[in-house]
Amino acid sequence: MFSLYSYYLLLLVLALNTSQYFGNMETEALLKWKANLLNDSPSLLPTWTTSNSSSYFNKTTTPCTWFGISCNNAGNVVKLNVSNLGLQGTLLNFKFSSFPYLTTLNLSSNALFGTIPASLGNLSDLTTLYLAVNQLSGSIPPEIGNLKSLVDLQLSNNTLTGSIPASLGNLSDLTTLYLWGNQLSGSIPPEIGNLKSLVDLQLSNNNLSGTIPASLGNLSDLTTLYLYENQLSGSIPASLGNLSDLTTLYLWENQLSGSIPPEIGNLKSLVDLEITTNNLNGTIPASLGNLSDLTTLYLWENQLSGSIPPEIGNLKSLVELVINTNNINGTIPASLGNLSDLTTLYLFRNQLSGSIPPEIGNLKSLVGLVIDTNNLNGTIPASLGNLSKLTILSLFRNHLSGSIPPHIGNLTNLKDVQLSNNTFSGNMPQNLCRGGSLENFTAAFNNFTGPIPKGLKNCSSLVRVRLDRNQLADNISEAFGVYPNLDYMDLSQNNLYGELSRTWGECHNLKHLSLSSNNISGSIPSELGKSTQLGKLDLSDNHLVGEIPKELMKLNLLIYLNLSHNELTGQLPREIGSLSELEHLDISSNNLSGPIPGEAGKCSKLLYLSLSCNIFNGSIPSQIGDLISLSILLDLSHNELMGGIPSEIGSLRNLENLNLSHNMLSGNIPSSFEEMKSLLSIDVSYNQLEGRIPTNKAFQKFSFDAFKNNKDLCGNVSGLRACDSSGTSKSNAIDKHKKTGYDTLLIFAGTQLFSITYPAITHFTRVLVT
Amino acid sequence: MAAIWTVLLLLLGTLSTPTTANLEGDALFAFRRGLKDPQHVLQSWDPTLVNPCTWFHVTCDKDNRVTRLDLGNAKLSGKLVSELGKLKHLQYLELYRNKLVGVIPKELGGLKSLLSLDLYHNNLTGSIPSSLSKLTNIRFLRLNSNRLTGRIPRQLTKLPNLKNLDVSNNDLCGTIPTSGSFYKFTEKSFENNSRLQGPELMGSVSYDIGFCN
Repeated sequence: MFSLYSYYLLLLVLALNTSQYFGNMETEALLKWKANLLNDSPSLLPTWTTSNSSSYFNKTTTPCTWFGISCNNAGNVVKLNVSNLGLQGTLLNFKFSSFPYLTTLNLSSNALFGTIPASLGNLSDLTTLYLAVNQLSGSIPPEIGNLKSLVDLQLSNNTLTGSIPASLGNLSDLTTLYLWGNQLSGSIPPEIGNLKSLVDLQLSNNNLSGTIPASLGNLSDLTTLYLYENQLSGSIPASLGNLSDLTTLYLWENQLSGSIPPEIGNLKSLVDLEITTNNLNGTIPASLGNLSDLTTLYLWENQLSGSIPPEIGNLKSLVELVINTNNINGTIPASLGNLSDLTTLYLFRNQLSGSIPPEIGNLKSLVGLVIDTNNLNGTIPASLGNLSKLTILSLFRNHLSGSIPPHIGNLTNLKDVQLSNNTFSGNMPQNLCRGGSLENFTAAFNNFTGPIPKGLKNCSSLVRVRLDRNQLADNISEAFGVYPNLDYMDLSQNNLYGELSRTWGECHNLKHLSLSSNNISGSIPSELGKSTQLGKLDLSDNHLVGEIPKELMKLNLLIYLNLSHNELTGQLPREIGSLSELEHLDISSNNLSGPIPGEAGKCSKLLYLSLSCNIFNGSIPSQIGDLISLSILLDLSHNELMGGIPSEIGSLRNLENLNLSHNMLSGNIPSSFEEMKSLLSIDVSYNQLEGRIPTNKAFQKFSFDAFKNNKDLCGNVSGLRACDSSGTSKSNAIDKHKKTGYDTLLIFAGTQLFSITYPAITHFTRVLVT
Repeated sequence: MAAIWTVLLLLLGTLSTPTTANLEGDALFAFRRGLKDPQHVLQSWDPTLVNPCTWFHVTCDKDNRVTRLDLGNAKLSGKLVSELGKLKHLQYLELYRNKLVGVIPKELGGLKSLLSLDLYHNNLTGSIPSSLSKLTNIRFLRLNSNRLTGRIPRQLTKLPNLKNLDVSNNDLCGTIPTSGSFYKFTEKSFENNSRLQGPELMGSVSYDIGFCN
């Protein structure tokens, strides 16, 4: 009897000691790991400490009351959850073997670094392993595949490298596998297809290569498959079509090729399909029309061809259809008009042809209709005036014609209307900006006639307006108002008349204003000088009179100023020198008079200067030689300049084209001109110059036309007389050539980039990323 | 509206690398990204526009291809990027008088329309890439006042239209080629290169003589 009692006592003692033994192990392991953390301190995990216990068993403490620790009824640690504490250290001295009962290990969102130890693989009860959002490096140890109880594995957002171990395929209870946001390489092991319980698979944002294994089609419980932002290649396996629970399939930003398998149309639970930015070719399968729960279909930036299948119109839940930047041809199916929940229809940058089906007007939820850069023809259907929620209408670069249906102007939510580069005609819709939200209105390069839309006058939301190259005829004095956000306004090449309004000066954000090639009259308002953000001002080719206002010279951000081909009078203000950013100044073909101010020499960034065809008098100021950036052109021709050519012009080392012709300049061509090493063309004809032309080889290449009709130039150019031994001209001049009538125009040696009318350029706001 | 923003945000996320919407605009924008621009001369460089032709300091031809880049004297610092080599219609690359550092990318040899390459007065290092010999139309090649090292690539003498060469004020070494289009250049184009060994002696001495690392 006594032996039985002592036997039970012995067992009791042993049992107690055993649990203490484990208690000891766990405590020791935790404390040792904490002590090895780089930021270990009394304030970090303050509960992790051994206290003085008055218990008989005071050699040990259980960690079960410590922060982040949960124990089972026997006092063994089952959960360790110390996420988000900024713990800095490695896992190398974490003795995993001390925690045989551990089910949950959450160390995520700390600053842990170093590798994941293989000994983790011994935790055979582990169901949840969260090491995400740390700086762990090295490979995923294959021993993780031994964690046979594992349900939830998250190693995402670290700097792990190497391949995904095939042994992970053994984790038959795994429902969640997050390895995203690392630098994992190699292929996705086909063994992943063995994870029969898997629901959520996210391998995105790595360097994975090779193909998508067909075995992934076996993951019959899968709802989420994220493989985006890798370097996966090959085709999308048809077996993925077996994933009947799949709601989200993200394969974007890879190098997938081949066609979209028609089996994708079997994914009856699919809500969000995004395969953008790959190398997919072939056609869009008609079977996609079976995906009745689909809200989002993104196929943009691939090389898909063929037509849009009409079956897409069956996708009754569809909210966003984005297929831009492919090689899609054929017409826009009328069936798309059935997509009553559709907010976004982006088909731009394809080769769609035919007309816009009127059924598009049925898309009552539509916010963005972006079908620019296609081959669409025909007219805009009047039904588009029913799209009351429409914010973005982008039709530019097509072959659309006819007038804009007036009801388009009634759409109050329009923010972005881009019609440029079509053959639209008739009047523009008059009540545009009815809702006061219109920001971008571009209709350049069309055949629009009639007035500027009345609705634009008070449209204070305007940011960017391009109506250039049309036949608009309207009085510009009253057509526009004040626009505090206006950045860009181009009305050039129209038939606008009237006078420039003072209100342009109140557009304090205006950076680019072009009104060239119209019939604008009156003078330049001095108030324009208040629009201090102006970088480019082009008023050329109009009927402007009066003087150049001094106030214009306060536009100290001005880079480009073109007032040429007007009837301006008066002098060039001396204040021109304050335009320190000016690179292009053209005031040619006016009636400007007086001297060329020496202050012009302060525009040290000038690349192009033309004062030609005016009545400037006096001499060429020597300060012109200070314009050291002058390269494209210096043109002072067709004026009444007299006196000598300043030798300082020879300092213009970068000047390519020089025209001083048709003046009354006298004296010699300065020898400093030999320094002008960049000179491609020169014209000093029709002056009173004499003496030897510069002797360097470059000058001998110029033709007689460059020098003709002067007093007595001599030199080694055929047509010019040879100089006598002293190099000066003879006092009794040989008969000058006299050409009757015909003026020789300067021909720029093939480098002319600026024509009188500014070259036609188109640019449009990219709707997608405004 | 929320749907639009979702699209925009998703697309913005993929725009850290620019889209292929306009290769030339993307190339210029890649250049902009590597630069410090204290005077905001590149402020108008809006990548959301369909092409860069209305950006200030950019000039295009009638087909909207970039022909000039005028950024001289703009206080820019940073590096030249290889993407600049994609501007196949560029005629004038004017980046003089800035604070550019790094090397001249060999990709600039791909600028087959280039007439003028002005990189003078910067802080460029490395050697003159021999790929510049592919610029068969080039007239003006001004690389003076940098810290370029290495030899003057002999292939440059084959440039048929070269009118103006300036590599003075650098740290070039080896000998000065004198053949081909280089015959017209005087010592002024090469001065102030303390290790440059004077004109090569035709026929008798190998042009490789001269200490150059």
